[in-house]
Amino acid sequence: MKTISIKLFVLLAIFVFVASEIEIFYSFYVSSKDTMSNLVKNNIQSDVLKLKHFMNKNLKQNNINQLVSYLDNISSSSNLIKDIHILNSDNKLIYSTDRLKTDLLNKDICLSLTKINNIDVFDQRCYSFDVRLYSGLNPYYYHSEVYIDEQYLEALLSQKIERYGIYFMIFFITFIFLLWIILKNMLVKPLEELRQFAYYSTKIPKKLFIRELESIRYSLAFTFKRLKKEQDELYKLSTKDSLSGLYNRLSLMEKINWFISKNKRSKSRFAIIFLDIDNFKNINDTKGHDIGDKVLIHISKLLLGAVRENDVVSRIGGDEFVIVLPEFEDDMVIIEVVQRIKDALSKPLKLDSNIYDSITASMGLTIYPKDGEDATTLLKNADIAMYKAKELGKNNYHFFTDSLNEIIQEKVHMQKLMANALENGNFKLFFQPKVDIKTSKIVSCEALIRLIDPKEGLVPPVKFIPLAEESGFIIPLGEWIIKEAIRDIKSWSNTSLSKVKVSINISAVQFRDKKLLETIKEYIEYIDASKLDIELTESVLMSNFDENIRIINKIKELGISLSLDDFGTGYSSLSYLKKIPFDTIKIDKSFIDDIEYDKQEKLFVNMIISIAKELGLSVVAEGVETKGQLKYLKGTECEIYQGFLCSKPLPKEEFEKLFLLYNGMI
Amino acid sequence: MKQIFLIISIIFLFSGCFNAVQEKELKISTNSWVGYAPLFYAKEKGYLKNLNIKLIVNVSLAEAIDVYSVGKADMVTTTQYEYYSIKRSQNDIVPLVLIDRSYGGDMILSNLNITALKDADKIFAYLEIDSINSDILRDFIKANSIDEKKIVFLNKDQAQMQDIKNMKNNAIIIVTYSPYNVKLEKSGFKEIASTKGLNSIIVIDSLCGTINFRKQESKRLKKLKKIIDKSIQEIQKNTKVSYSIVSPFLNNISYSEYLKALQKIKWINKPSKSLLANIKKMGYEVKYLIK
Repeated sequence: MKTISIKLFVLLAIFVFVASEIEIFYSFYVSSKDTMSNLVKNNIQSDVLKLKHFMNKNLKQNNINQLVSYLDNISSSSNLIKDIHILNSDNKLIYSTDRLKTDLLNKDICLSLTKINNIDVFDQRCYSFDVRLYSGLNPYYYHSEVYIDEQYLEALLSQKIERYGIYFMIFFITFIFLLWIILKNMLVKPLEELRQFAYYSTKIPKKLFIRELESIRYSLAFTFKRLKKEQDELYKLSTKDSLSGLYNRLSLMEKINWFISKNKRSKSRFAIIFLDIDNFKNINDTKGHDIGDKVLIHISKLLLGAVRENDVVSRIGGDEFVIVLPEFEDDMVIIEVVQRIKDALSKPLKLDSNIYDSITASMGLTIYPKDGEDATTLLKNADIAMYKAKELGKNNYHFFTDSLNEIIQEKVHMQKLMANALENGNFKLFFQPKVDIKTSKIVSCEALIRLIDPKEGLVPPVKFIPLAEESGFIIPLGEWIIKEAIRDIKSWSNTSLSKVKVSINISAVQFRDKKLLETIKEYIEYIDASKLDIELTESVLMSNFDENIRIINKIKELGISLSLDDFGTGYSSLSYLKKIPFDTIKIDKSFIDDIEYDKQEKLFVNMIISIAKELGLSVVAEGVETKGQLKYLKGTECEIYQGFLCSKPLPKEEFEKLFLLYNGMI
Repeated sequence: MKQIFLIISIIFLFSGCFNAVQEKELKISTNSWVGYAPLFYAKEKGYLKNLNIKLIVNVSLAEAIDVYSVGKADMVTTTQYEYYSIKRSQNDIVPLVLIDRSYGGDMILSNLNITALKDADKIFAYLEIDSINSDILRDFIKANSIDEKKIVFLNKDQAQMQDIKNMKNNAIIIVTYSPYNVKLEKSGFKEIASTKGLNSIIVIDSLCGTINFRKQESKRLKKLKKIIDKSIQEIQKNTKVSYSIVSPFLNNISYSEYLKALQKIKWINKPSKSLLANIKKMGYEVKYLIK
């Protein structure tokens, strides 16, 4: 169905109304005219009947003069009759009310009175009838004509038309006015209210008079109420953490941004506390996630209780909470809040009638605008400060500082550098020879990673290896080392270096990688596995010992030999040596450095060598730099040395040349 | 939207038709005459009201004719005399229903007998000149060889004539009809002639109207005819009841006078062929009679 505007609808309604009103008024007019016509007709009939009676009884031949005054009286007393003519049997006018008008009018304009019922009296101006006179019993006839006052009749009609016209206009104007009022108040205004309500959904219109509009109003109000409820729920879902009921990351960011805007104008400060529960993973691992969730809920409540009324507490993930302290004048206020949090957490935890140990948390603090001018920076720096607090021994807090920031920037820079290096081939394997002490020939080597950046030149491993381990980059980098070392071993397979054994270092982080064994298996197929040696430090073995033993055994099964690196610096547990099938022990450089002069060092070295020999392990002395050190080692059962005395780590080509030179092959 | 306008248009059309539904009121102009007792009876019994027909009862025949001739009535009760009189100015008037024939109902009263009247020098004759009275009087004069020149004709309504004093010094004759004769007879006037004895004149009373009117209202006229028939039947069947109903229209005459008056007329609502033939010879139109 085609839709029309209210305006058009109203116009159509008015048109229909006006048409019907005209119809009604016209009907009234016609009916009224008929009624009036009947009255006029009756009047004419009565007046003429009276006249006819009078003439029948009184009119005689030649007595008209006696009747003139009475006839004049009939004419003048009647509003309708203007003139009366009486014609004798010779058709001669013997009487006329209007004496001046003695000429005869056209007889045809007069209608026989008997036909009055068939005509419109407003159109007829003259009526005629015969008067019977007698001569003895013999009748003869006079003729009479009665003229009607046209002006009187027209006035009657025009008065009627005028009256109905006025009624029509009054009625029409009243109707239009009432229609306008009704439409405005009952339709247009409510519709406008409904439109505004539908658009803004704020003020609910009052109950409406028209049922259909009231239904729309009710439906809209009901729908908006439901939508508002759903909106609130969605808002809650989107802004609140479902577990703790605290603000989530999204709303935290909004609030920090809002605080930034506000404090920017007022040039005031606010603080952010980044809180991370210490060792929360252990709670999840040992007590299950359900308890972990309950602990988080409990901590949330503790935090809410510890902060001030206007402070914002949020949970942004796992065991990480962020607290915003919007207003403070003195830095001590921050410390007080932090202390209250620590105090609250330090109480024993009671969950489901079980009492657990107290919880500790590490907190990093940033202050706007000093430590960042946007939410991301403030949170990132607070996170950095929190990690620093953890480094300092956990259950602590730390303010973000510039030096801390520099370290982080350096880390970020190094991470970029490493990622680019791996992609662009800036990592290189250097080889440091291992020399047989008896024969003074190079028998093997240790592959060492070097980063040679086109801009920054050689980057020391100490700068990027810890970072690679911290960030997990060591996994792809370790894989690259394995692949590259094996490629080099393979490239030497049919050369004078074919018997050179290459050692690679695998860190603790790499060892936790479940794909490590698969990676080694994948590449070892291309070479003689006995040509590869894996050096492990004691730290690799420290955690998850049983799983690590399983992996080590698998590696051994592949035919790869194992060396225990940096022996003597850590726990130097003999049980490791007993349980782990090492092939070689590498005595740490720190023992070798003073071996020439320090008796105690000599004692330690001798003891290590003796134990190794007892266990059937070969021994490599690391960091041999002087001939004196080598001379002493020659007096022991140490078979191989490694150090600057022979050579620093060299690029592959240089190592190959050194090998040939050292072993007398060129 | 189209349907709405269609509905409104239909309402308009119907609203225009509503006014035309009601039947127009018909009027019969009549006068006080025992022969018209069926009309009075039908009126009082409400038979006419059912047909929306109104009765206008006048005091004289002439007045009844005037009322009709000025258009105040659609039908008029007349004798053949008034009928011809009206026909002069209204050519299309025709008898619609034959009601009665005067059989002594129209009469001539006098304070003298016929012989004394013949001897009288001057006779005052009261009558409604413009009615059947003229024909009756003319017939009486002719039948009794009375010199018309010694007669003074006095044109009066029947109502006026009722009060004529019996002045024994004057020879008076009054042409009247039932029930106006009753009061006059009480004043000492005696019937010297009537339509019963005047064989040369037949007085027919009928209900007349125009041809066009007959066409337009033929259905109602047929019903009216049935009502007249029914009323005559009921009048004949129970005169006492009919008397109590119609006497106010007949100058409140007594029951015995009512019975006498009824004997002086004959109902011709169901006319015989011979009667129709007779009145047709008189130039009386019979083809528009309602059967």
